[in-house]
Amino acid sequence: MSSQTQIEEELDLSKFFDNLWVAIVWDDPVNLMNYVTYVFIKLFNFSKEKAHKLMMQVHTEGKAMVASGSREEMERVVQQLHEHGLWATLQRDDHGRV
Amino acid sequence: MGEFKGSANAGDLSVALSNDELHILINLVEQLLELLGERNFTHHYQSDDPFAQLMAASLGNLESAIEQPEDPVLRRLLPNAYADAESSAEFRKYTESSLRSVKQSHLMYLREQLVFPVDHELPKADIAVTDPAQWLIAINDLRLALAVRLDIKQESFEKYELMVDSDRQKPLFAVYFWLGGIQESLINHL
Repeated sequence: MSSQTQIEEELDLSKFFDNLWVAIVWDDPVNLMNYVTYVFIKLFNFSKEKAHKLMMQVHTEGKAMVASGSREEMERVVQQLHEHGLWATLQRDDHGRV
Repeated sequence: MGEFKGSANAGDLSVALSNDELHILINLVEQLLELLGERNFTHHYQSDDPFAQLMAASLGNLESAIEQPEDPVLRRLLPNAYADAESSAEFRKYTESSLRSVKQSHLMYLREQLVFPVDHELPKADIAVTDPAQWLIAINDLRLALAVRLDIKQESFEKYELMVDSDRQKPLFAVYFWLGGIQESLINHL
């Protein structure tokens, strides 16, 4: 019978989190609000409500996390965002804090 | 001033542009295409041209990462993907040339659409917007480029409204906000 500690070691959650990356969109004074919403819907298939909420977060807080996944996936997302003229970067996930 | 008619869904979306507006748009598109086409020597190994690759290889550039472009417009259009310079340069090595080509292809598409009316008497050209998504990205890239040159900030519109007519930058500001109106109107017709 394995103890809780052993299970955690086997799952190795720290490694899982180390491999989690996020894509962040930063606010800029040029991209129109409805264009940013449009891009979020187009690229991520978000509902209009979710896309609008994230756009507002970018606008009011200066940035928003728009996607998470492997480093390769986030590199692809950032490249697509750059293709659409949004200002985006990727970084290791800081456990919810951007 | 760039009124859209019809809808993207019905497939009959079009925009009316005057000759002056067409001239301005064509000019901007061509300038940006030219800027995006400029590459410094270290970019050549990414080219599809075997000769350019050979040149770059012989100069020992194959292993080097790519630095951020010097022109501030290119820095905005081809931004760093990471906060740190080293990861950004590494990423750029594999992605910058394709990002450039994607942007060039949108602009070239837009350039092809901007055709003056055959009948010179017509005050406006009615231009079919066959691919609104490409229009949007191309117009957005033009706005981003102009915004860098004009140092656009959140409060720039208020500043523009107070500008005197003799201000040499005023016409460019006008073009920038006009493009914003086109983009906004286009999104509303999707």
